[in-house]
Amino acid sequence: MNAIRLLRLSSLLVLCGLATGAVAAPDGRELYIEHCSACHQIEGQGGIGLPLPAEKLADVSDDYLRKTLRLGRPGRVMPAFQRLSDAQVDAIVGFLRKRTETTERVFSDQPVDGDAGRGQVLYTEHCVKCHGADGSGEGEGTGVTTSRDRSFLVMPSSISNEGFLASAPDGMIQRVIAVGRKWSGMPAFGGAKMTDAEINDVVAYVRSFEQQVEEPEPLEADERPTHVYDSPYDFETTVGNVKAALTGANFRIFPDRLLEQGLTDEFSVNTRQIGIRFCNFSVLFGMLKTEPRLGIVLPCRITIMEREDGSVILTVPNLRVVSRWFNNDELVELWDRMEETFVEIVEEATL
Amino acid sequence: MNCLQAKGLWLAVMLFLSGFAQADNMLMSRIPMRAELVLEYVKSSIEEHGYTIAHLQLCDGGMKDFGYESDLYRVVFFGKVDEVRMISSRYPELVSYLPLKIAVIAEKDDTLVTVLNPEALSPFYAEEEIQIQLGRWHSDLVSILEDVRRAIGKRIAAAR
Repeated sequence: MNAIRLLRLSSLLVLCGLATGAVAAPDGRELYIEHCSACHQIEGQGGIGLPLPAEKLADVSDDYLRKTLRLGRPGRVMPAFQRLSDAQVDAIVGFLRKRTETTERVFSDQPVDGDAGRGQVLYTEHCVKCHGADGSGEGEGTGVTTSRDRSFLVMPSSISNEGFLASAPDGMIQRVIAVGRKWSGMPAFGGAKMTDAEINDVVAYVRSFEQQVEEPEPLEADERPTHVYDSPYDFETTVGNVKAALTGANFRIFPDRLLEQGLTDEFSVNTRQIGIRFCNFSVLFGMLKTEPRLGIVLPCRITIMEREDGSVILTVPNLRVVSRWFNNDELVELWDRMEETFVEIVEEATL
Repeated sequence: MNCLQAKGLWLAVMLFLSGFAQADNMLMSRIPMRAELVLEYVKSSIEEHGYTIAHLQLCDGGMKDFGYESDLYRVVFFGKVDEVRMISSRYPELVSYLPLKIAVIAEKDDTLVTVLNPEALSPFYAEEEIQIQLGRWHSDLVSILEDVRRAIGKRIAAAR
């Protein structure tokens, strides 16, 4: 066997070993730390994501946890982990069980026999205050640390979310209504407050949210992550026009910053590429409550570049595209409106 | 190498690389340490990966100046000038996403380190050159976050 064949065989063995190790024995703790802890914290105390205490996990099935991982909560920050293998999902569930020293509570897959019409009346009386008329959870914000309404122990669940409804069988919803969830402040409605039949009616109404799901407006097929505009003006005039338009729209403009500034020395930096950075702190503060991770796309910026032929272009992020990366419907709604403002500013500057 | 061996090697490589393919739109890491210290580790790791830090944005300071109280919230901007020049010359619409940036956000005694996954942009481009560039940034960012986590883990372990 020559050296090249030996090297190839060695590489194959090493790669196979690594691959086999990764597939055969996923480490639930490591996977949890990698994928879950940023939002739920390492001990499950909750942060951007909801807390995961033993009391909660003891009241749900492993199937519910698996489906929750797979489907996430569309529009509510929790992503759908569709690329994890079944073994990896099982490992995370196993780790959660071990950490909380709980076993699953299994529910029947059979739908309950309830009347959604009567359930709506009861829901309006008992549930709207926290879960909202549309079941999305009252109040602004998506997490428990930065943005939650402090009068709640946790943000009320979005029980109309398609990820929740696809994960939770009727029996589980029935039990939560009956016994409540003390750790979250959710009261028990079983016994004196509601009969079993009434609880079933509420379950039927909650299930009816499946037909009422409102998804954000989808992106157009040809929508790009950035808008690029040609300016009819020279570089200096374009910069001046953009600043004037931003000031007129009540934005505060930060000091000019060249695209290459800080990346190279002052003599080499291209002075014909500039980012006009701007902010409205009042709006920003409100948006950070809705989406604490917004910093990764801040500050707002319009980049103006002079090309070799002297023509000038402006580039602006397409907020409709960017906002959808956050899986946060509240942000999508806000930024779809903000996008219109940005377009107006650039159009005014390039008229 | 025969055809069977080649197929085996390809499969092994794909399985090995599949860890990097699990791309969400955001990369996040929670660090059980105060944000001021984590910020220093983030800056070091960025530089150790061959990037230059362009500037540091003090979001919390900016908000405080206008009366909005916030915990530490900083954004580190960084890049490689050659990459920025290549992108601005050939793919100007990507310039809006440069320099790269990592947000360091205090959450009580913990810190969230979060960054947009450059591969979120992949579906919008067919060009191989961009796909390679986005993949390289993604790998570097994953590595930066892992190094920060590892370094701080060692520090915490040493302190115990």
